[in-house]
Amino acid sequence: QSGILPTFNEQARHRFQAELEFVQCLANPYYLNFLAQRGFLKERPFINYLKYLLYWKEPEYSKFLKYPHCLHMLELLQYEHFRKEQVNAQCAKFIDEQQLLHWQHYSRKRTRLQQALAEQQQAQQPPQPHGNAAAK
Amino acid sequence: MAAAAEKSTKERLLSVLDDLEVLSRELIEMLALARNQKVPQPGEDTQILELLVQRDKEFQELMEVAQQQGKIHQEMQLLEKEVEKRDSDIQQLQKQLKEAEHILATAVYQAKEKLASIEKAKKGSVSSEEIIKYAHRISASNAVCAPLNWVPGDPRRPYPTDLEMRSGILGHMANLPSNGVNGHLPGDALAAGRLPDILTPHYPWQSSDVSAGMLPPHHGNDFSLEPPGHNKENEDDVEAMSTDSSSSSSDSD
Repeated sequence: QSGILPTFNEQARHRFQAELEFVQCLANPYYLNFLAQRGFLKERPFINYLKYLLYWKEPEYSKFLKYPHCLHMLELLQYEHFRKEQVNAQCAKFIDEQQLLHWQHYSRKRTRLQQALAEQQQAQQPPQPHGNAAAK
Repeated sequence: MAAAAEKSTKERLLSVLDDLEVLSRELIEMLALARNQKVPQPGEDTQILELLVQRDKEFQELMEVAQQQGKIHQEMQLLEKEVEKRDSDIQQLQKQLKEAEHILATAVYQAKEKLASIEKAKKGSVSSEEIIKYAHRISASNAVCAPLNWVPGDPRRPYPTDLEMRSGILGHMANLPSNGVNGHLPGDALAAGRLPDILTPHYPWQSSDVSAGMLPPHHGNDFSLEPPGHNKENEDDVEAMSTDSSSSSSDSD
């Protein structure tokens, strides 16, 4: 039954895909900078769209998000002050740095723990190979 | 009050004593006079004596009455003490009852709160299996936790990179200009005609297979209209607020 025009469901499914991709793109601070520099973040329809996208916070939708950082960015984007700041490249760089640091937090913690564990095990090793040989 | 019309026992006693005093004084005066005059007043001394005896009798009677009244008064006092005791007992019970009521009211209130929070928790419950599946997805793909061998220069990021963005349907829908961001050189991968292996998503962020049945919430598609809710414009300075023609500022979700 595939005519030339997409059915309502097909349209809706396509819109779902598009919105899923778009909302996750908001996790990319350079993309936000890109949008800001082209004036999108000042347009009223776009601001309304950002508010509409908040539905991705519901559990039945959020389970499809691969990049959860985007939800935090989406929440911040509801505030005009934040939107205004996105036009600065420094702002994008700062957000990127913070995101990377946060992203690396657990791996760094794990590395530190492993190091601490290794050091502890070394300290417990009794270093007496010569002594034993002499006793025998 | 009838009691006011009758003289109290004390008053009567005192008046009788006064009479006795007067009479005995007269008698003594008479006797003193009689000694000087030698002419006895025939009837008067007996009269006075009789009066004396009468008054004395009255006095004795009144004393008895007073004694009895005293006994009754004592009994009354005892009873009053009993009444006081009972009264304080009742007050004590009243206090305890009030305390009990207060405690029960608090308990009921807290129980209601607990029930409300149980309802709330039930509403927001998610199956643990789904949570585990989701957690696996987002961590295995390094979306929320950096890969252990990550060094600066590694193109992987906690957000969709230029490449990923362009390989999705959005990328195909519109021609996004190349910004050369993230240290990526967009030309390379496109020229090579394929994504480098390290970037091939194991869990595609477009989720086309997983989300086959999902539909987005209904919307009229006209975002130029004001949404019916409020704006979160609560960080503006005063000027902007007054010129902002949209609805009220604070959101109460």
